[in-house]
Amino acid sequence: MAKRYNLFIVVGLLLILLGCSSTTPPVVHISPDVDMSFIKRVAVLPFKNLSEDRNAGEIVREMVINELLASGLVDVAYTGDVMAAMKRQRIKDPTSLSSKQIRRLAKDLKVQAVIVGTVSKYGMVRLGSISAPEVTITLMMADAGSGSIIWSVTLTRGGAGFMARHFGAKADTLSETALKVVREAILTLYEY
Amino acid sequence: MSIQKRRITRTRTVMLSFLLLCLLFLNGCGGTKLTVRLKENVEIDKIKRIAVLPIENLTSKRFAGEYVRRTVIAEFLSRGIDVIEPGEVTSVLRDKGVRTVSEISIEQLKEIGEELGVDAIISGSVGAYGISRGVSVSYPEVSLHLLMIDVSTGNIIWSAWATEGGPDFWTRHFGAEGLSLSETLQKVVEEMVDTLY
Repeated sequence: MAKRYNLFIVVGLLLILLGCSSTTPPVVHISPDVDMSFIKRVAVLPFKNLSEDRNAGEIVREMVINELLASGLVDVAYTGDVMAAMKRQRIKDPTSLSSKQIRRLAKDLKVQAVIVGTVSKYGMVRLGSISAPEVTITLMMADAGSGSIIWSVTLTRGGAGFMARHFGAKADTLSETALKVVREAILTLYEY
Repeated sequence: MSIQKRRITRTRTVMLSFLLLCLLFLNGCGGTKLTVRLKENVEIDKIKRIAVLPIENLTSKRFAGEYVRRTVIAEFLSRGIDVIEPGEVTSVLRDKGVRTVSEISIEQLKEIGEELGVDAIISGSVGAYGISRGVSVSYPEVSLHLLMIDVSTGNIIWSAWATEGGPDFWTRHFGAEGLSLSETLQKVVEEMVDTLY
């Protein structure tokens, strides 16, 4: 009888550990007095890259564009059009825009909001004897009318799970981790 | 302990082991992660002729963009879609004074498409193309973003982002040979195009 209980405890613990995650919830801000339903088309500006991967900003930006399109929430301005509009408006650093610049850019691109972002971490980190991917991003949406931030989310994901570390289960690749981060970030907008 | 009790215990142990093995298997299941948007009311069958622009390379591998472009062209050709010769596309881009594909506007795309006589243009980027180091083994990793733009309207009618990578169960635990980098790329492109046709 005792043996059977022990076996159940072991299986139960394994299942609990499987479900355990040390993930921190995203830090989200959504302006309470803004009606998001009027946002039908957005422009995603080039992201600021603070990671060691020199293309991380562009890689994550592409993911964000695709996730927004796939969500069906909004239409997204084509990246080439965004670059052309930025050139016309003489914007060199898209991560530090004034309200006036946001309004002008949005008018030029015929969008209701502008999304800016920062990739703080994008790469493999060493965790004891193993390497695991780590991705941290911040996304912000500025309203084209007022130029103020109406949605902001910061989140980080990564590391190797319990099963991957101890039982050799499949660990996420860097791209999969980045996709998870982006998807979860967009989901906060979706849920709203 | 009687023989019957021993049999019951053995059966339970076997069943539990099987359950644990299933759990491990499930944990090992990966496959291509794919996110797609196909615009509503688009008659994809009407797109018979396309042009594939140079794919933006966001990896550290020198010719990754070109590898992807060739694979995408081959995949569309295998589906019976007429694809413009890449040299002709490059020539038109040069004539238009386009230096980087990421800076082409929709208006320019429409002009390029009309000049090439195509129904749609494919553009995209490759975010990962190489051998990555995992927890215990190395594996190929590919991630791609492809867009299809309708030349007549200038609308993005298809957007797909996909990634494939990570060793499968057999590679991780028994050292079985997994897919090569080129095979992984082909698989990703095939699954992306599958969402269209």
